[in-house]
Amino acid sequence: MPITVQLFVTCLADMIRPQAAIAAVHVLENRGIQVEFPERQTCCGQFSYNAGYQHEAAVMARNFVQVFESGSPEDSADIVALSGSCAAMVINTYPQLLYEDALQQRKSETEAREWKKRAEKIAHRVQEWSMWLDRHGEASLAPTDMSLPVVYHLGCHMRRLLPGSERAEEFLKDKGIDAREPENAEECCGFGGTYSFTEPVLSTALADDKLANIQRVVDDAQAVCLTSADLGCLLHLEGRLRRQKSSLPVCHVAELVELADQKKLTPAYVQELVRGGGE
Amino acid sequence: MAGQLPFDERPWPERRDAALQNQTMRHTIGFVTRRFTLVKQEVYRANPDIEASRTVAVGQKRKAIHDLPELLERFRTQVEEHGGHTYLAARAEDAVDIALNIARTNQVKSVIKSKSMVTEEIELNQAFGKEGIAVRETDLGEYIIQLAHEKPSHILAPAVHRNRHQVADLFQEDAAQKKIAPPHSDDIEDLTRYARERLRQEFLQADMGVTGGNFLVAETGTLVLITNEGNADMVTSLPPVLVSIVGVEKMVENWTSLQEIIQQPAMSGIGRHLSSYTTMIHAPKSSGSAEGPEQWHVILVDNGRMALRGTKFEDVLSCIRCGACLNVCPVFREVGGHAYGSVYPGPIGIVETPLLTDFQILPELPSKLCTLCHACQEACPMDISLPQHIVSLRHIVIKRHLNSGMVGWTLKTWARFWGTASGYRRSISLARVMQRFYGKRRNASGLIPGMFAGWGQTREIPQVAPQTFHEWWQDRNQKGE
Repeated sequence: MPITVQLFVTCLADMIRPQAAIAAVHVLENRGIQVEFPERQTCCGQFSYNAGYQHEAAVMARNFVQVFESGSPEDSADIVALSGSCAAMVINTYPQLLYEDALQQRKSETEAREWKKRAEKIAHRVQEWSMWLDRHGEASLAPTDMSLPVVYHLGCHMRRLLPGSERAEEFLKDKGIDAREPENAEECCGFGGTYSFTEPVLSTALADDKLANIQRVVDDAQAVCLTSADLGCLLHLEGRLRRQKSSLPVCHVAELVELADQKKLTPAYVQELVRGGGE
Repeated sequence: MAGQLPFDERPWPERRDAALQNQTMRHTIGFVTRRFTLVKQEVYRANPDIEASRTVAVGQKRKAIHDLPELLERFRTQVEEHGGHTYLAARAEDAVDIALNIARTNQVKSVIKSKSMVTEEIELNQAFGKEGIAVRETDLGEYIIQLAHEKPSHILAPAVHRNRHQVADLFQEDAAQKKIAPPHSDDIEDLTRYARERLRQEFLQADMGVTGGNFLVAETGTLVLITNEGNADMVTSLPPVLVSIVGVEKMVENWTSLQEIIQQPAMSGIGRHLSSYTTMIHAPKSSGSAEGPEQWHVILVDNGRMALRGTKFEDVLSCIRCGACLNVCPVFREVGGHAYGSVYPGPIGIVETPLLTDFQILPELPSKLCTLCHACQEACPMDISLPQHIVSLRHIVIKRHLNSGMVGWTLKTWARFWGTASGYRRSISLARVMQRFYGKRRNASGLIPGMFAGWGQTREIPQVAPQTFHEWWQDRNQKGE
């Protein structure tokens, strides 16, 4: 029996960077893992939740729970998320959020507890994509002597809310992706979900600090791109880079892992990713 | 009852921009806070056994807050039995009145102070100033900002925003005014020597000493002060009248609790096992003893604190003011303490300021000064759920309609669309239509709806892909790949 996983694509990967999700599927399938994609999924609701709109987040969270409950016959497949931050949202926030929102909506205590239980069941199944692969996939399709230096951004929520995330960098290194964290890596890049819209000035000041440290890795180690398991941070940083006329490629870790699988881990292929390759 | 806190009346964008333009401050704050963070991590790493003690301290502190009314009674009884006086001030203005009355009764003309955040909170110096009473801050950092007519920018290191060259300039100015010898150079040693000599005279002349307090031990009615300069020893022993002004939440039950918790502020604040000086006040001078104040007054300040007991925010009363959350906060490192506009900046400040005042001041703090990176949660030695509280406060701000209506509209509409798969699909089609309409126009931010406009001010706006993953998946299934 092959392992089956359900893919939680996340709204940002779905809409803005589908190449990342496609690469993630290819990488899993190349390892004989069967990928299911519950098509009625939308978004985890973290944008709303963190902005203080708990009911609005709960609307999306309930959809998430229902969608992933019905996707697999035994409801037991792991759910792999293409974002550390969204995974953390489901794992850490859903149970209490759905419990509280049910009570807010004047549902009975029994019903509120029921939602909490359902959310907990889902939460136990969710893992970030690269961390899941590290735990389940073999180290690499074929051992490699390639080594491509890249700047790795471990987002705050993956770093602090998903235990074991410090392994993520090693996982990439095993594949020949020489992931290097910039100085002050543990400092927020300033994305912060809706924070990037509602407080653009500070959000950008933080991005500029982060990008200065990233640039130093590019200069010192000839890193060829910026990568992360979190597209929120990446799109924010990429938007800033482009506004500043920088052409540093920015890509999701899944895209690099796919390149590694294909033995195409070279600066030229990384450039190709950004020019809208992938398909 | 809601408390009263002073605040900067400039609107947030003005406070923010002033901070962002002050490169010296940003550089200094960034350097010092990263250094504090590093030494904190080191000391915990080197002493793994301290973790057990920290956990015990958290548990005991939580219990003390739970039992606070009873412990306050016990503390007051003890102090009174030893000949001290105690007062309970419901609000900031009450605390100020009590302190002023004590000063008037004793015909006080000059006051020396050790560092205290609660006296910043109640604006004691301003009240004394109006009464014609001279106040001298004796903590070096406080002394510096007093000369500069500034407020503290950090709860532990009040002058952290100033570098030594700026301090030297202030001292030069002071020396010229007083017609005394200025510091020899801007070396730290020369600057400290200048301050020490200058302050020594004031210590000897003062009629009244004012302190804050780091801990109150209910069991024995003891006030505990920790400092790194020893100035509290002089403030509490030289003047004939001693007034200690302390937040009610500083209570610990007994000496066992004190032992567990006393290392935490220094460990988490400056990465040292203990501050250089620990001062304990138990009573005024007893007859026959040579040293100590003749009177000791303890003003216990509520100012919005008691109202937090029994709410989900109760754990903020466990704060020991170590400053660790400020030191790790990326936003604090970016703008420094003054931009917050409150005496309490940083993560704990954006939580406490609205809570203590029931949102009467600075309701924008939880939304504007936090990216929810969770660094504060990791740093807090008292396990205060700062990020969760920040989310809850944002929620309350919305419920009370204190935020921008436009953001509310956007997020409600968003949820209406994305609560279902079909709404989600419709929203993507809509985004594509709008994208075609705006084209790839640079700086299209003015045209982007709702709160999304902010993104485009400084960053290129990402485009919806020609084929979403959903569409790719369907396509692939149809092709039967």
